[in-house]
Amino acid sequence: MKLVVAVVKPFKLDDVKESLKALGVHGMTVSEVQGFGRQRGHTEVYRGAEYEVEFVPKVRLEIVVDDAQADEVTNAVVDAAGTGKIGDGKVWILPVEEVVRVRTGERGADAL
Amino acid sequence: MLAAAVTYVPYPSWLNPGDNTWQITAATFVGLMSLPGLAVLYASIVPKKWAVNVLAMMFAGFSLVMIAWFVWGYKIGFGANSFGGGVKDGVQTQLGRGGWTQFIDNFAGKPGPVLSPQGEQGQAVSAANTIIPFHFPTASLAYFQLVFAAITPLLFLGSVLGRIKFLAWCLLVPLWSTFVYGVDAFLLWGGGYFAQEGSLDFSGGYVIHMSAGVSGFVAAWVLGPRLLRDRQHFLPNNLVMAAVGAGILWLGWNGFNGGDPYYAGSSAAGAVVNTNLATAAGLLTWVALDAWLSKEKKPAFLGAVNGMICGLVGITPCAGWVNGQGAIYVGVICCVIVWVAWNFLSKVPPFSKVDDALGVIYTHGIAGFFGGLLLGIFGDPNMLEYGCGHLDSAGQVVATTATQYATAKGTCVPFGVDGLAYTGSAHQLWEQFRAAIWVIFWSALVTFILMQLLKLVLRGVRYKDEILEVGDLAIHGEEMLPEDGFSTRIGAGVGAAGMSEASLGGGGREPDDPVPTGAGT
Repeated sequence: MKLVVAVVKPFKLDDVKESLKALGVHGMTVSEVQGFGRQRGHTEVYRGAEYEVEFVPKVRLEIVVDDAQADEVTNAVVDAAGTGKIGDGKVWILPVEEVVRVRTGERGADAL
Repeated sequence: MLAAAVTYVPYPSWLNPGDNTWQITAATFVGLMSLPGLAVLYASIVPKKWAVNVLAMMFAGFSLVMIAWFVWGYKIGFGANSFGGGVKDGVQTQLGRGGWTQFIDNFAGKPGPVLSPQGEQGQAVSAANTIIPFHFPTASLAYFQLVFAAITPLLFLGSVLGRIKFLAWCLLVPLWSTFVYGVDAFLLWGGGYFAQEGSLDFSGGYVIHMSAGVSGFVAAWVLGPRLLRDRQHFLPNNLVMAAVGAGILWLGWNGFNGGDPYYAGSSAAGAVVNTNLATAAGLLTWVALDAWLSKEKKPAFLGAVNGMICGLVGITPCAGWVNGQGAIYVGVICCVIVWVAWNFLSKVPPFSKVDDALGVIYTHGIAGFFGGLLLGIFGDPNMLEYGCGHLDSAGQVVATTATQYATAKGTCVPFGVDGLAYTGSAHQLWEQFRAAIWVIFWSALVTFILMQLLKLVLRGVRYKDEILEVGDLAIHGEEMLPEDGFSTRIGAGVGAAGMSEASLGGGGREPDDPVPTGAGT
């Protein structure tokens, strides 16, 4: 099993979710995160005081999938999240040793 | 005709229910400007770690002035008798005398309570109005003046927040209210020296806003700056809540300026309209300046709030005495001056050396100063606070025609303000300037003395850095947005925390049953 982690633009979350559902992915975990890569931050002004905001809001998705599906899922995320502009995000894949479904105790691929 | 039999009546003949209704209503509007208006505005434009501290100081400050005002303070500002006897039983006895004697004998009222039945319910008597008897009881006048007294220290909380000790604040507020606010209120409003000389302040451009700005600035100087990290990361926590607070301030100002004629008449109505005109003009001016001339060239919302406050503060000393056109000028001029000061003067000493956290010296101090001066320019003699006509023996208006009201008849001259733009005379401008210099001097001096005194008694008026690094949690044990999932009750308190489910009669409940979905299709 693999853990696919994707950090993408927040407004692309719907597209990514839909294309993963179409692939038969059963679940995912999503969190709002802040980060920066090559995309520059921005400035904000409150009552005349300027603030440099280096971190940009992103959405982080975590999806555990069967080994066979990992590439397909990764490509789907890349396709759905891409705009071609700087700041589109990153996807990386990690090996997963074990997965357990809390309710039933099922293990491995059955727990996905 | 026989006199009617004596029976139950709701009020005596000197009381006018319309005037009394408006006075209490206007006072409540002004009270809402503090709680929740200003409390919410300030608490939402500080970082999360300071919001609770601001709220706690706001509510405690309001309560402290409330008690101080009714136990002794009201009569310092509006009592019928001054120290030295210049004002006696609500009558100014030394008009035109001149010199230091008149100044000293008409400096402050003798303190005393407004707590007795007659004290609350008897007809208001104060040299704050020597032209027509008050049409409402002392309770109405005292409560109306209380909400002004209360908001003033709350305004300059914006200068000192983020480091002042809670206890220092709780001592400063009643002391400041007594020795600064009470004195200035008597001198300009309570029939004291400057009122007798002809200096005017419709609703507090000097007594409230400029005084708050100057006092906050001096107090911030004595206190020293916030932590460096706080100064570098002082982001607002919620702009939507800032809008709620700001909106309550604006519309609450209808009571602030609309209540100050003391009669629910044309002057009140004119003051309300002028207040709103100046505010809209001020708001739009700041937005335009931000959009066109600021470095970012963006119409910032908090800039709009600043402009709104400049308009409100600028029109406050003028409200019922300028016409609508004058009101727009006042809003625009005050806003331009404050915008320039905010962006440029702030880089020059002493402004660059004092950490006035929310910039109260600009939006209240400078706007109030110039608003008061502009009254001397745009005061329109035809905007009447009082016209001429007939009063019956109880002081109620009878049989007064519109023509009588608006034009001089016999010994009565309708009361309006002679501004430079309408009369060519700079006399009023000079009277305004004198009073402004006094208020700046007195507010700065007494605030400095009080802060030094508190510093000595409390062994410092600011928290240690370890406390300032944490903020609300260290000072109050509370957070603005606590996370219930990460915390578990460990101690006693209301709400039966330690009791079992069964002993509370809730044993049969299965809280984790799934919520049924799709019902009722």
